Amino acid sequence: MLKIILRHASLLILTLFVLSFFSFSLAYLFPGDPLVNLTGIRGSSEQEYALLAEQYAMHSSFIVQYWQYVMHLFSGNWGLSFSSGLPLAEEISRSLAASVELSAYALIFSFLIGLPLGFLSGLRHHKFTDFTLLTASVIGYSIPVFWAALIAILIFSIQLGWFPLSGRISLLYDVPFETGFILIDILLSDLPDKEFAFQDALRHLVLPSVSIAIVTCTIVLRITRRSIVEVMSSEYIQAAYARGLSPRQVFLRHGVKNALIPILPLLVMQFTTLLTNAMIVETIFSWPGIGNGLIQAIYQRDFPAIRAGMLAVSALVLTFTITIDMVIQIFDPAGRRPENATS
Amino acid sequence: MSLLDIKNLTLEIDSQSGWIKALDKINLVINEGQIHALVGESGSGKSIIVKAIVGAISDRWRITADRMTWRGQDLLTMSVRERRKIIRSDISVIFQNPKSSLDPIVPLGDQLKEVILATRLEKGMFWNRAKARKKYASELLHRVGIKDHEVYMRSLPHQIPNDVCQKFMIAMALASQPKLVIADDPTRGMEITDKSQILKLLSRVNKVRKLSILFVSHDLLAISSMADHMTVLYCGQTVESGRMSQLRKRALHPYTKALLESAPSFRTDLPPKSPLSSLGGTIPTFQHLPIGCRLGPRCPRARKECVKVPEVRRIHEHTYSCHFPLHRDQK
Repeated sequence: MLKIILRHASLLILTLFVLSFFSFSLAYLFPGDPLVNLTGIRGSSEQEYALLAEQYAMHSSFIVQYWQYVMHLFSGNWGLSFSSGLPLAEEISRSLAASVELSAYALIFSFLIGLPLGFLSGLRHHKFTDFTLLTASVIGYSIPVFWAALIAILIFSIQLGWFPLSGRISLLYDVPFETGFILIDILLSDLPDKEFAFQDALRHLVLPSVSIAIVTCTIVLRITRRSIVEVMSSEYIQAAYARGLSPRQVFLRHGVKNALIPILPLLVMQFTTLLTNAMIVETIFSWPGIGNGLIQAIYQRDFPAIRAGMLAVSALVLTFTITIDMVIQIFDPAGRRPENATS
Repeated sequence: MSLLDIKNLTLEIDSQSGWIKALDKINLVINEGQIHALVGESGSGKSIIVKAIVGAISDRWRITADRMTWRGQDLLTMSVRERRKIIRSDISVIFQNPKSSLDPIVPLGDQLKEVILATRLEKGMFWNRAKARKKYASELLHRVGIKDHEVYMRSLPHQIPNDVCQKFMIAMALASQPKLVIADDPTRGMEITDKSQILKLLSRVNKVRKLSILFVSHDLLAISSMADHMTVLYCGQTVESGRMSQLRKRALHPYTKALLESAPSFRTDLPPKSPLSSLGGTIPTFQHLPIGCRLGPRCPRARKECVKVPEVRRIHEHTYSCHFPLHRDQK
């Protein structure tokens, strides 16, 4: 157990250092003064510039500069944005929370739909239900996310008017920033019309999360189906039938658990693909998330924002992946444990 | 009355080249208190018979039989639910690979308790049930020779040795106090000491409880010491069936003879360093079955007539299907 934790921790820390090194080198690779790219402070006086150069050890070697940069990162000083002039740490944590929120709901949504359908499809292997669901999943998988989002807007918000067109919540409500997750923030806040704000936020969530969930849903369906088919044809399931247990007992007591445990990591890893898709969909729905923020930053050549935003996203994905992998390895009851963290 | 009576059981498997008869007119009768051996090479369809009896069959199989009854009740026409009920209370199976026949992530104790029928427990209020179940389970484990029942009941299949796993399977098979236990090669891949322990255990249960055992194996040595009846199977056809002693003394079918001769321990007259006899060739695959008597191409006594499936002939309890049986040459 300790061994697993140590292995994963070392992998995580090393990779994070590599990532931070890449983000540091971006300051040199982008056009312009590296110091300006790092700090985001433009047009400073000579004295100020000298002070900053001192802080970032710009006259020392590359390694020392990198070390100073990492120290700044840890102390929460990620530089300022070119376009807004605000501290990036705060800006990114806000937009990242919005993205994570969106993808988390989409993930829950695709689990709620994909898992039961996958079970159904696996149990009706090579029958009409199975083929129907497979066809649907191929169609769902092949639809480009941005196109689906646009069509959804066209139908559900413009023609039918069921859901709002864009944004995260109506401008009428001013939700104070607490956790960054808007639904939780609303519940924590003391707004006079909490319920309406909550409903409004939910209505804003529906279209973006559904259009991201479509693809993930089909992936979840396929993975689950495959695993169910494999488990239900395995010897111990046949043996359980031969002991005279009913199909329901067999499925619930032996089938579900055995089918889910090996695919759980695969399923949870879909979160990263979700996040990528969310970044595309955010721009369409003007969701104030990291994807939207990054694309704006790219248009405006806001180099510090690109650097910090990319670092934040990749660090999040990496931490998430490695943590999940570790948790699953620790808790797998059948003891299927690869010897090292890379699997 | 016989417990299990199977007559002309035919099982066809759907394959690319049409329906293949994996079992061709199998006959099998098991009486109460009998240890019946089912013998054959690997690939002769032994395990398929077991699956057909307990109903663990795939939907790509087609089963037909003139008769397949359990104590007079027809197993083929009854509903799935009724059949399951019979299997749950009267028939148990011990599978070949104990490790892969046990759920890898459920503790063994829970799997054992799962098969204990509520009717086999002492009467009690529902809060006593769990305790009674546990007591019953640990008694079962003691009976099959597992001493540290506390430890093993908490373990998962991959954490315990193979023979303990098999003992667990036997305990599970005995849990419902069945009338018939089907032991599908229960000692496969085991060490000789574990093997003899398990065989002793099975024959003890047979004597004490009057339990019938259908012993499926190709381990002739083990079988001959235990079983009183034997059915020999080749390639999905019943070749010969009868009392163990009779078969050993005077096998009528060439295949039975070859099978018995291939085991050196049965031949006291075998001089040292003499070559062991065996039939030429190997058992055909299910895609390339010969017509007629399936032993045909390998049979030393085969003649033209062997392209027709031989009728089942009977001398008292001894049945065989061969056109040209040994010892009975018509002069």
